[in-house]
Amino acid sequence: MRRTTAGLIAILACVAAALAAGSAWAMSEQELDQRVLEISDQLRCPTCQAISVKDSEAAFSRQIRDKVRSMLREGKTEEEIRAYFVSSYGEWILRAPKKEGVGLLLWSLPFAAIVLAGGLIAWRLRRATQKPRPEPTPATPDDAGKARIERDLRRFERGF
Amino acid sequence: MIRSWKFWLVLAGIAVVVGLFAYGFTVDPKLVQSPLIGKPAPDFTVTRLGGGETLHLAELRGTPVILNFWASWCVACRDEAALLEKAHRRYGLESGDVRVIGIAIQDRPEAARAFAERYGKTYFLALDGEAGDIALNYGLYGVPETFFIDRDGVIHHKQVGPVTWEGLVTQVNAMAGQQQAKR
Repeated sequence: MRRTTAGLIAILACVAAALAAGSAWAMSEQELDQRVLEISDQLRCPTCQAISVKDSEAAFSRQIRDKVRSMLREGKTEEEIRAYFVSSYGEWILRAPKKEGVGLLLWSLPFAAIVLAGGLIAWRLRRATQKPRPEPTPATPDDAGKARIERDLRRFERGF
Repeated sequence: MIRSWKFWLVLAGIAVVVGLFAYGFTVDPKLVQSPLIGKPAPDFTVTRLGGGETLHLAELRGTPVILNFWASWCVACRDEAALLEKAHRRYGLESGDVRVIGIAIQDRPEAARAFAERYGKTYFLALDGEAGDIALNYGLYGVPETFFIDRDGVIHHKQVGPVTWEGLVTQVNAMAGQQQAKR
């Protein structure tokens, strides 16, 4: 009896371990899919116009995604995978320029444009606030105005 | 009439944009210089289409190689098939100066074999694997693309699109001249 119980416990333990391993494998496959999508989103489809490898169903894109997957399985880092594709396709394959050299200049251009535009707006606002304000129009009419009002009122009362 | 500096600034901005557009129209965005030029050709081992002979690129060191990537579904590959065969016969079989190799990509063996028979290709033909490892190692954008690999196993030139006879002769002579210059 005791042997039977021990055997049952051992079988249950094995089943539990197998299930746990299965779920862990499924998790890592999900993570792998996610990593493949992330990296292939950074790569340009060689046969398309302005489409990432992630968004393309071209044969080259499928092969690149499979290559990314196999390199990740081999334990290659994201940087190593990018370097591999740059070594065969050049910087062109990267959808975003590298943040160094000319690439750094390209990255900095939008920020420089924002700073420049902000500076221009601030400068124009400052000039506008520093201008002398025009004299406000008097609320009460002058003598000529009063006379014109009186004349118009009389014409109104007469019925034009 | 003297214009304000704002006018000249706007004019300069427009001139820069128009200049960039004009330059953009003069270049083909698809023609990207291969980073492999001047670098060792990625090695590979392939089996001859139809089985039998195995070829290891590194073992061809000492002989210039014309490495052509093609496919049976590629229309432009039909135009250059006869020229590559002619190069194989003249520089490969007669003088033994050059080895011509054709690698079919994203293709099926039977379709590639039928294409080879139809266009009379007798030089070494092989098929890239389903993963496309050779095509990716050579940074292919499509077919046909042809790499000229010198005696030292270094990529000398890359031709995007179908080859011409003049182009083939020029590159073969350039590789031969390069070798003579080294001697």
